[in-house]
Amino acid sequence: MSGHEIKRRDFLKVMGWGGVGATLAGCDMPTTVTLEEGKEEVVSYMSPEEFVIPGIGIYYASTCQQCSAGCGIYGRVREGRVLKLEGNPASQINGGKLCQMGQAGVQTHYNPDRITKPMLRKGKELVEVSWDEAMAELDKRVGKSSSVDGQRVAWFSGSMSGHQSVLLDAYLESVGSKSHFVYEAINSAVSRAVNAEMLGDATPHYRFDKAALLLSFGADLLGASSSPVHYSTQYGEFRSAPRGMHVQIEPSMSLTGANADLWQPVIPGTEGVLAYGLINMLVNKMGYDASGLSLEVRGLIGKYDPAYAAKVTGISEERIEKIAGLLKSKSPSLVLAGTSTEGQRDGYNATAAVTLLNVILGNVGKTIESSGTFPFPQMAAKAGSSRDLLSFASALGKKQYDVVFFHGTNPVHTAPNYLGLVDNLADVPFKVTLSMFLDETAAVSDLVLPLLSSLEDWGTHVADVGGSTQTTDVTIQQPLMKQLYDDTRGFGDIVLSLLKARGVEEYTGFDDYYAYLRDAFSSTPEAITGGLGTKAFWQGSLQKGAVSIQLDKGALQSNPFASEVSEHKADPSYPMHLAPSARLGMWDGRHANIPWLQEAPDQISKVVWESWAEIHPSTAAKMGVTNGDMIKVESRQGAIKVKVYVHRGVHPNVVAVPMGRGHEQYGRYAKGRGVNPLKILSQVTENKTGELALYGTRVKVSNASDKGTLIHMGDSESQVGRKLVSTVTAEVFKNTEGGGNSVA
Amino acid sequence: MSLSNLLNDWTRYRQGIEEGGFHDYEHIFGMAIDLNKCIGCNACSIACYAENNLAVVGEEKFAKDQGMHWLRIERYWDEPDLGADDQEFQEHGASFLPMMCQQCNAATCEPVCPVAATYHTPDGLNAQVYNRCIGSRYCSNNCPYRLRYFNFYSYYETSWPAPLDQQLNPDLSVRDKGVMEKCTFCIQRIRVAKDTAQREERELVDGEFTTACAQTCPTSAIQFGDLQDPNSKVSQLWKQYQVKLGTTEQSKQNKELRGYRVFESLNTEPCVMYLDRVREV
Ligand code: SF4
Ligand code: SF4
Ligand code: SF4
Repeated sequence: MSGHEIKRRDFLKVMGWGGVGATLAGCDMPTTVTLEEGKEEVVSYMSPEEFVIPGIGIYYASTCQQCSAGCGIYGRVREGRVLKLEGNPASQINGGKLCQMGQAGVQTHYNPDRITKPMLRKGKELVEVSWDEAMAELDKRVGKSSSVDGQRVAWFSGSMSGHQSVLLDAYLESVGSKSHFVYEAINSAVSRAVNAEMLGDATPHYRFDKAALLLSFGADLLGASSSPVHYSTQYGEFRSAPRGMHVQIEPSMSLTGANADLWQPVIPGTEGVLAYGLINMLVNKMGYDASGLSLEVRGLIGKYDPAYAAKVTGISEERIEKIAGLLKSKSPSLVLAGTSTEGQRDGYNATAAVTLLNVILGNVGKTIESSGTFPFPQMAAKAGSSRDLLSFASALGKKQYDVVFFHGTNPVHTAPNYLGLVDNLADVPFKVTLSMFLDETAAVSDLVLPLLSSLEDWGTHVADVGGSTQTTDVTIQQPLMKQLYDDTRGFGDIVLSLLKARGVEEYTGFDDYYAYLRDAFSSTPEAITGGLGTKAFWQGSLQKGAVSIQLDKGALQSNPFASEVSEHKADPSYPMHLAPSARLGMWDGRHANIPWLQEAPDQISKVVWESWAEIHPSTAAKMGVTNGDMIKVESRQGAIKVKVYVHRGVHPNVVAVPMGRGHEQYGRYAKGRGVNPLKILSQVTENKTGELALYGTRVKVSNASDKGTLIHMGDSESQVGRKLVSTVTAEVFKNTEGGGNSVA
Repeated sequence: MSLSNLLNDWTRYRQGIEEGGFHDYEHIFGMAIDLNKCIGCNACSIACYAENNLAVVGEEKFAKDQGMHWLRIERYWDEPDLGADDQEFQEHGASFLPMMCQQCNAATCEPVCPVAATYHTPDGLNAQVYNRCIGSRYCSNNCPYRLRYFNFYSYYETSWPAPLDQQLNPDLSVRDKGVMEKCTFCIQRIRVAKDTAQREERELVDGEFTTACAQTCPTSAIQFGDLQDPNSKVSQLWKQYQVKLGTTEQSKQNKELRGYRVFESLNTEPCVMYLDRVREV
């Protein structure tokens, strides 16, 4: 960057290092990476001499973008093609491991349904146009000389962080827009809000590897969580001797629940009462001290006695006592709330009740640690919530926008019908989608800009889960191969050209996003570079795939507050609860276009390629249906028909229909396959946070009188007496493998 | 050819019983899979798809049991070891079992192959020679673990529409209709490690190579290595849990110790040891 002088402070801001005066420590920079094959010292495929070694696979570091956890990856590149992704062992997030969605990243990249040219709506149709025409259209609508009112421009994205976020903020500032909506259908916004309030840290580190007992109220740590691999590696530790116990309380079995020692079904919306019932038992029967709590909190605890909790939840007093007893005998424990608890009208209060358990049990500071503060707020993760979807929808209803940009999320697929998103979007004069695929949102847009895949593009990312209490990584996403399609562009490049088109001086000097990133790295505060020269620091960072950042020390507080949970009410005309469960695989629907994942048996039902509804055998018997029969699931907002899978991992009052399928667009593998339970969600929002209450929908189910068969793996659900999976009790495990690792 | 194959196997089999397993191989690659750690996430299975050019067969063919998942995660709902199976709820969760070719040393699939397309390598691997296979499917009939997958069609014609085909691993072939395939313990990865060791004139080092499934497993439930190397992690685990080759029933000093091989009473001599699932009841 050259041409004009900017003050160092502003300069740091342009480069993303603007902050609050951080204490920064040096980094440990490896000189080489150990590579599985060839053992070359490799920096980047950008260095051509190292790019192609015929017949030899070379591994380059980058960052997985299949979910917002941002795991570190190594891509195996051979003859200029990326063939296989593996975890980067140096990553603080995933320690060399990947989940199935991460493994399938190559099928997002090489997907046959990628869009390869910009598309502009002409009349009714989206037609392919040149970039020149696309950019001219953009310029006309939002460029410097356009008459656009910046207040009427909105950006709607998925979770984001790093330098892309820095550039996007700069762009929105230049336009004069204050509307950046960050939406994820799968999020932990309610828990974050509760944590911020009660613990003074929205995303504290959960350390179940240090816990003797993990009690989860529907938190699907191993599956649809904020960092599936991070939590799974931790779970491996947790299960090693002296093996921690795991109790899961949820309406329908999640992947995490499938691993529990005790799986307890619960009616969604009664978890808060159950948590208070447990607290009541701990305080009144088991000698836990509540004297430090406010009168109001103690009053509430008194109100929810175990008999009442048993009546509301349908879980026996003995069972509640058993769980309370476990909490007492196995310390420290860790108690967490997940979507089924958060996603209710009073989900915030219920989650607070669950978090209060940690305070009373003395877990705060033991199994819940401070996450510290990331010193560069500009780059910090902007985590998605569904509140942003709701406020976006209501702004659309009031016709507040003339131009909307979409990127990294597909709200037209995941938004409930009642929001009327498609109709309201029709009234927005100009909608732009930046995407690799023609998904439902792109299909209703006026301009579609084809993105590079994450394996072709540059970026930096800051995860908000993972890392230690002292450091976290800014991970680097670098291209693992040349772009497949000439007419696709990187996200950073597009935002940079938008900035240039607005004539924002600070950015006019950069040829492309890569040049910007290089400069950003050149301006890295010395405390981070450890005094390494610019080139050495850049290359070292690329090799490692990350820059380690010292965090500002944080401290957890404990501000327990009273959180009254409303009584669960029956709804006679819609007597069942809908559980639109999320899965590690289809996720929020973004992976429905990956053939490997479509054909990957669901962890619970083992179904492939289609949707299903899970119901309890007693429910199935009442309805007269068996596996594969079609049922109708009807809410006040609409109905879906879906085949049924019967198992004992569902509460009898619950019907679980996993989200992720039911696409109307999105390519050959996704389109027209399965159903989308999110469409029939009722208009229920969480009172305090304004989040969509994902588990707040009541439905009725009926036999659709259509016999069928589920397409799934395995004929037998039972071992039929054969020793396939042998199980021993934890007692035996302790006797033989004990507290240490000794085997006697 | 098949007769000599059969006789060879028979000799080895006899010898194995008399001498506590046959150890006249250069390597015996084996695994230890800890069901206390396996969470059933399926990452290993997709890693195998990516590494080994496994075809996606599509909905209709999958419905006819033609899925090509060399590594499948079985999920059972019953728990015979924990007693009665008549509870109202699935109180101890599910039972997951990652199942791939067990690389049996006395493989029941081998002697029945009329053309010796499946045979034992000097590395103790149960190998499949695709261009020798005539598709008789005797081997798969004879595999007690149901881990052999037959190419009833030319799945490649629909599995990798361009540019998906660019992801294919050039270190191994794409199979056409009429041949049998199955987990190879990622033989191409072993090959690379062996070649490198040879070039550098040294022995294979434990940990310098692993299979795609073991590599990605988030909980490190899968350990892979050479059972002939007494210091390898996998050997240590077999020793620690007192699981031995060359027997149809493990005799352990401590009967409660975890560790077994699936269907070992059939005397197939599998090289995959499972550590029992654990539940607190
Ligand atoms: S959790 Fe899975 S999808 Fe998400 S970043 Fe990690 S490997 Fe990728
Ligand atoms: S060892 Fe290799 S071939 Fe066998 S199941 Fe694992 S990944 Fe697949
Ligand atoms: S990756 Fe590991 S934990 Fe996941 S299913 Fe496979 S063996 Fe089990």
